[in-house]
Amino acid sequence: MYILGISCFYHDSSAALLKDGEIICAAQEERFTRKKHDISFPLNAIDYCLKEAEISVDDLDYIGFYEKPFVKLERFLYQHLQYFPKSYKVFVSKMPLWFNEKLRILKKVKKKLKYKGDVLFIEHHMAHAASFLISPFDKAVIFTIDGVGEWTTTAYGIGEKNNIKLLKEIKFPHSLGLLYSTITAYLGFSVNNSEYKVMGLAPYGDMNKNTNLYYKKLIKIIDIKEDGSYRLNQKYFSYSYKDKMPSKELCNLLGKSIRKPDEELTQEHKDIAAALQLVTEEVIIKTLNNLHKKLKIDNLVISGGVGLNSVCNGKILKKTPFKKIWLQPDPGDGGTSVGAAFYVYNTILNKPRKYILKNASLGPEFSNKEIKEFLEKNKIKFSEFKNEKELINKTAKLIFKDNVVGWFQGKMEWGPRALGNRSILSNPTNPKMQEILNLKVKHREKFRPFAPVICEEDALKYFECDNPIPPPTDFMLMVYPIKKQWHKKIPSVTHIDGSGRLQTIRKDQNKMYHNVIKEFGKLSGIPILVNTSFNIRGEPIVCAPKDAYKCMMGTGIDYLVAGNFIIKRGDNPKDIWDSDEYAKD
Amino acid sequence: MTMHDFLKSFKKGMEEFGYTIAIIVNSILLSVVYFFGVGITSLIAKIVGKNFLEEELNNSQTYWENLNLGKNKLEAYYRQF
Repeated sequence: MYILGISCFYHDSSAALLKDGEIICAAQEERFTRKKHDISFPLNAIDYCLKEAEISVDDLDYIGFYEKPFVKLERFLYQHLQYFPKSYKVFVSKMPLWFNEKLRILKKVKKKLKYKGDVLFIEHHMAHAASFLISPFDKAVIFTIDGVGEWTTTAYGIGEKNNIKLLKEIKFPHSLGLLYSTITAYLGFSVNNSEYKVMGLAPYGDMNKNTNLYYKKLIKIIDIKEDGSYRLNQKYFSYSYKDKMPSKELCNLLGKSIRKPDEELTQEHKDIAAALQLVTEEVIIKTLNNLHKKLKIDNLVISGGVGLNSVCNGKILKKTPFKKIWLQPDPGDGGTSVGAAFYVYNTILNKPRKYILKNASLGPEFSNKEIKEFLEKNKIKFSEFKNEKELINKTAKLIFKDNVVGWFQGKMEWGPRALGNRSILSNPTNPKMQEILNLKVKHREKFRPFAPVICEEDALKYFECDNPIPPPTDFMLMVYPIKKQWHKKIPSVTHIDGSGRLQTIRKDQNKMYHNVIKEFGKLSGIPILVNTSFNIRGEPIVCAPKDAYKCMMGTGIDYLVAGNFIIKRGDNPKDIWDSDEYAKD
Repeated sequence: MTMHDFLKSFKKGMEEFGYTIAIIVNSILLSVVYFFGVGITSLIAKIVGKNFLEEELNNSQTYWENLNLGKNKLEAYYRQF
């Protein structure tokens, strides 16, 4: 039985395909169209899934869609009824998208895919909650939290075997995700894209609730109850009727106008980011403590875009009584295609659960033959490794000698993080590496940290992780403190507060990647690498060999290790394009 | 300029023209819907004191609301609402 999950028309369109209750493949549309956070119908991702499974659209038994469009329209209309006539501009600009795309999803599916079968519509937060179905738990508390689905912005419930029951909710316009996005916009970053930058900026600010003046201001705009439930004072927000999220009152409260993207980040901006992180953690930790007390279950599944707040995730097991935590590699809207598909199979059709998502390598793969064909066709100078051992040794040596290496191997990762298949790898022991990567390769803001990757068996030596290390650490979804004695030894991956957003890797997940880290450890004495996504700022992570080559040639990446081949930037025509020009949010 | 290039440019121009016309027509129609449909409903609602969004903060112990969303019958999932 084949089930296709689809998510689209809001942000991060994606598709996922199940065969008899096991996931065969999943990918985000942006990787194919090269348009970051692409919202369009995921035709390319679906096409990839069908080809990967070697089936046609006629073989699909069901399609699961990640939301109920008409319930969402109801919320959209209610916003305009509430805010007439202030919402005129948004109504006129957004309504065509509803008529042309969102309300015609059935027609789109039938026309674009020539699909004649059944399409099932799953509530948005249920599609998030369905992450439980691919977790290692038989029973768990499920906590979903994002910007907004149809009406729900935050919900909790219980997952048990095949079933999920969402018990309570907080509804729009009250949303922790939208609060985070509003402050992101206020700080001059792009919404639905740069929230993680604000999270990275927070440690530069005052993380003490008693002394951070902006915390005292932010706490005025959100009313948090003892059980963690909350509402936002709407006078500080304009997202219900405007494209711009912070209102004038919010600017007045925080004492400054909205920061322009090219304006310098001041200490006040950093303190605001810190205050926001404090508020976010307060809501989540209070809620989870209350849920554990009420539901008395030790396992926790988190889903929804706020689940990408890896700083908060890393504190949950320490600050709440939950003993185990699980998030899928893409807790945001992209991940709802997987959730919708599994909800159809396990819950609606009541088929037994038999799959736990342990490996995020679910995307397109290119064989050595395909890579070689691309290189030869484009007259690119390259050399071939004799065997895997040579590949591992040479790559580790290049990284040890402070080269920046593009690593293009195996299946593209599912989710927003590069996890060792489409990664840029470099030496974390070089104090200048963060600057080199930021300026020469990624063109991103100087304050943003880089992530370390470490073999799971070594993690507890270097990081103050939860023990046992929770599975979401494999998907780079947990931030932990780096042990003090290592701060100066791995400066490129040590954030200002001494933390690191680590990825742990096990040999059975990705043997070659695991071996490169180990080999680097033999050379440097520290088995840790810098792992950052293989892209420049504003671009999706590379998917195909041509994307990887283009990215290398436009940046300061020194070598590209693609399949069994190595390409040196210096051996090939320089400056085929200038990535600096294109780096944007 | 060859005939092929001319036809290509002409087609592109027509598409852009069509797109512009669509934006104008859409804006006019949607403005009518907004002011006469949304506007009148909104005004009546305001007169009778109806709120479409629950915005108020209150002194209750919790802001959690009942959802009770679980598995439905198969037919319910065919609906987009």
